[in-house]
Amino acid sequence: MSTARFDELIHAPKRLEIVSLLAAAQWADFKYIRDELGLSDSVLSKQLSILESAGYVQIRKRFVGKRPRTSASLSPAGRQAFDQHVAALQRILARSQHDAHAQPVAEADRGISGR
Amino acid sequence: MSDAQQPQPAGTETTATEAAAELAEIQRRQEQVIKAVLVPVWYWWALAAPIVAIGAARDSRNLVVQAIVIPLAVLVMAVLIGAAIPEVRRRVKVHSTPQTDGRLVVAIFGMIVLVDVVIISLAASLSAAHVPYPVTIGCAAGAAVLVITGPLVVWYAHKLMLSQARQQLNDAPQAGGSTP
Repeated sequence: MSTARFDELIHAPKRLEIVSLLAAAQWADFKYIRDELGLSDSVLSKQLSILESAGYVQIRKRFVGKRPRTSASLSPAGRQAFDQHVAALQRILARSQHDAHAQPVAEADRGISGR
Repeated sequence: MSDAQQPQPAGTETTATEAAAELAEIQRRQEQVIKAVLVPVWYWWALAAPIVAIGAARDSRNLVVQAIVIPLAVLVMAVLIGAAIPEVRRRVKVHSTPQTDGRLVVAIFGMIVLVDVVIISLAASLSAAHVPYPVTIGCAAGAAVLVITGPLVVWYAHKLMLSQARQQLNDAPQAGGSTP
């Protein structure tokens, strides 16, 4: 179980896309992430490095034949941070819906007491 | 905001509209991953064609035709099954639970058994009734079952994985917490 915690690192648009993609996967190939998100090699490398240094992403390098293949996956800490971020977003949304619902009720109450 | 900014409890500036957009983006990316691992409809037609070819070759009773068509058809099927699916899996592996995997294995195994049962029982019955081309008809029926049930299994897999992904998203806020 996770607590709601808004995460500025995940909140950045490009990193949100990367982390969302990785959250749905056990692991994903570097080229797959790059192509699906329409990012350049350098941008993706930079964002993955940031996420890796925060401990959110694990990078795995291996060889298939003579070709190097790089894949990325969310670390347990990254998955937890993502869950907490999602929880925080849902809380913001729920609070806003609650406020929107409560406002007309409060106005109606004021109307009754004002008579 | 710097790209390398460290995580910190914040979010007070994030509006409900932004939060909704972010959640929609997360859901969209989940669906994108799930779609990537599902095989396309043409895959089932490509698997069905060699099955019919094997049946027709068997009914031709021509050893040369059988010697060429059957190994070729088996090779095509082996390439499709053995190479196409791992190729997709080499790019991305969906985050799934053992329950989801178990259900999918049962669905795929059930489809294979159904196709085999249709081919064998129909071919044997037609052969016993001295109907011409019994194996071809049996294989064509089995291929038809494959073409129909294959996309159904894919649809089921899509539904299962999507509901699992949504469940994970819905589970997130239940613990309460420290959002400002």
